[in-house]
Amino acid sequence: MKLEENFTEIYNKHVPKVYRLCLGYASGDENLAKDWVQETFIKVWNHRKSFKEKSSVSTWIYRIAVNICLSDLRKTKQHKILNTAIDKSEITAQEEHCVDENIQKMYHCIEKLNTKNKTLILLELEEVPQINIAETLGIGHGSLRTRLSRLKKILLKCIKNEQ
Amino acid sequence: MNSNELNKIWKSQKHDFFPTPSRQIIKKAKKQRNRQVIGIAVMSTTIIIILLFTLKFANNRWNNFTMGLVMMFSSLIFRVLLELFTLHRKENQLITLNSLSFYTYLKSYYKSRTIINYMVTPLCFVIYTLGFIMLLPYFKRQFTDGFYTYILISGITSLCVIALIIITSIIKEKRFMHELHKK
Repeated sequence: MKLEENFTEIYNKHVPKVYRLCLGYASGDENLAKDWVQETFIKVWNHRKSFKEKSSVSTWIYRIAVNICLSDLRKTKQHKILNTAIDKSEITAQEEHCVDENIQKMYHCIEKLNTKNKTLILLELEEVPQINIAETLGIGHGSLRTRLSRLKKILLKCIKNEQ
Repeated sequence: MNSNELNKIWKSQKHDFFPTPSRQIIKKAKKQRNRQVIGIAVMSTTIIIILLFTLKFANNRWNNFTMGLVMMFSSLIFRVLLELFTLHRKENQLITLNSLSFYTYLKSYYKSRTIINYMVTPLCFVIYTLGFIMLLPYFKRQFTDGFYTYILISGITSLCVIALIIITSIIKEKRFMHELHKK
């Protein structure tokens, strides 16, 4: 029973982040992201005994989630970037539309990145500590900050160019 | 727009995400494990039966019928075991490797799948078909014409279905490999 309680605690803590991470890999395809989240936590439960505490539980879970996203190469249903005209009187609706449009552009730009950069930026956007990002990917911590700042610039430029 | 805004946009995602309750995840995981255990038990029992059968008939009553049966079952079991082994290894790597190493492993995994798909599977299929052909004269002698025709038609149909499944999975994996190299 204690095992199940521990798992529930870990699950509730990590599930939103893992979902958004998978959503980034799935270019906004919610159904695919949900499948991946479920698969991630099924593996976490099934392999809980093989977790050796060399890294933190969070790193282990992110690593499993990223590996699941990488190994499932189903075609994602990419969301189209919306450019429809908006009624100017509906400010809230317009703001919402703008946010949604930016996210779609972001998915589109993230999709263009290679595997390594995609993982880096998605973990960074989830505000995962850089030490955990380095461990998840298996790269040195040293050059990570510079690489991330360069990646953010590339992403910003891409989003602007999509407009 | 500055880099902090990237995080803001990312966080502002509105999705109706209601996570599956953890209890349900555990239930699914346990069900998955049970299915695996049952699969392994069935496979092990079949292997033991075939081994005993082969040992019993190997010396005195060995003929084309027993040979055909052994060819059919052993090729099928070998292929299934190979599939289980590669899947088990892939799962282990997924759990233990960091993402970059796993990505490199995935590439070699799909390369080995090419060998399995283009060499091992067709070979197993040929052995299975030959085994089936070797059984036909015995079936013709033992059964009525009607039942023999039924065995013949259903046998050929299942061979066609197996071939179709193999071709579909090869096409699917080929697309996977292509996607992997594009990334």
